[in-house]
Amino acid sequence: MEEKVLEIINQIRKNNNLDGLSNLNKTDNLRDDLGFTSFDLAELTVKIEDIFNIDIFEDGLVNTVGEIFQKLS
Amino acid sequence: MLFLVDQNKSFTYINLLDEVNKETFYYPYFRTDNIYSFFKNFIIALTRDLTIVLIDEDIKSSELSIDETLINQIKKIESVSFESIDSLIDKVFNSNSDIIIYTSGTTGQPKKVVHKLSSLARSVRNGDSYNNQVWGFAYNPTHMAGTQVFLQALRNKNTLINIFKLTRKEIYDSIENFQISHISATPTFYRLLLPFESEFSSVIRITFGGEKSDVKLHQTIASIFPNAKINNIYASTEAGTIFATKGEYFYIPDYIKEKVIIKDNEILLHMSLLGKADNIKLDEDFYHTGDLIEWFNNDKTLFKFKGRKNELINIGGYKVNPNEVEEALSTIPQINQSVVYGKSNSVLGTILCADIVLNNQITEDELRMELSKILQNYKIPRRFKFVEKLELTRTGKTKRL
Repeated sequence: MEEKVLEIINQIRKNNNLDGLSNLNKTDNLRDDLGFTSFDLAELTVKIEDIFNIDIFEDGLVNTVGEIFQKLS
Repeated sequence: MLFLVDQNKSFTYINLLDEVNKETFYYPYFRTDNIYSFFKNFIIALTRDLTIVLIDEDIKSSELSIDETLINQIKKIESVSFESIDSLIDKVFNSNSDIIIYTSGTTGQPKKVVHKLSSLARSVRNGDSYNNQVWGFAYNPTHMAGTQVFLQALRNKNTLINIFKLTRKEIYDSIENFQISHISATPTFYRLLLPFESEFSSVIRITFGGEKSDVKLHQTIASIFPNAKINNIYASTEAGTIFATKGEYFYIPDYIKEKVIIKDNEILLHMSLLGKADNIKLDEDFYHTGDLIEWFNNDKTLFKFKGRKNELINIGGYKVNPNEVEEALSTIPQINQSVVYGKSNSVLGTILCADIVLNNQITEDELRMELSKILQNYKIPRRFKFVEKLELTRTGKTKRL
């Protein structure tokens, strides 16, 4: 699951001309550390929902990679 | 007195006066990501009664059907000699400039709307009680909402702090460091401030604009900014600011009562409220906004927005015309057919999607690369589905959000 999330995040980063990451830290902040905008976060939710069938932002925003893992586990 | 702070650079009203006075050229079509340069150029045009076209930093000339060489072309002008910032501001608000704003047309390409300052400044208030406000600037400066905040702040010599496109932490730091008192932004912007972590007491006014928002978001924002009065505002590129809320509901202010009618739950605006546009269709002098409302009370004085009648899709406050995106997709040789639609999304309200039938193989990356050459970023779909054929009856044109 964590690998799949990394793949999705790298895909979005690539579209923004940002370098791919080799690994994710649970404390990584989606906006401050990964540089995601609201449009990127929206894309992230849709991509994750397509694969895992869970809307990670449904009950309010998640801020860190660790919070995504928690929602998906 | 501070005019603007952007990325730790400060510009005073004295800087502004001096630079506007001595400038000997301006850009009629100015594409820039520097907000001070953008505002300065805007003011220079207004003080000389010259035409100014407001264009986004990532717009392509092909999207506007204009010659690329026009963009950032210099035009020579005379210097001026305003003695004080007050006389400069008075001139700005009496300017006779044509101000051109582009908006998502209901068919095909963006259409241009020509405004005068009087229509843009219709809702601008001034007086002693508006002094010393510090505005968090959270809109795209080239769009109607950004123009409204800019003019409101300028009229009262308020300070603008640019917080557009900052990260959550940077936004909170700016609010704290500059003691921001007023913020006007889209619900998407406010969603990025969640969840509640601590209170910010300097903010006394919060305005929601641009798209539908929800009660839960309002409640959390109210707890982050406990001293703030919260209201909503309705503005359109065609007409500028029209309505604001009284409590939770919108009302039609007295001074435009004769100029607004509601027909089949749709808001119609009288032509005297509008800027000039080439292809605005009028129905007995009234313009169909496409915005649908729902009355709250039997007297029909208070209402809420329900949605849109036409096909424009509201993506986090940006209106996208799916026809324009489909036209752009159709220029890519590998694409046979496409349909562009909105899907509800917890971050942006709606996210832009495209279903695509291919002639020849192209990857999603390559597709995005091609689109980024011809479309602004917010018009590029964030979800592509490659399909065998389009199911028009179920997810096709009639089913767009």
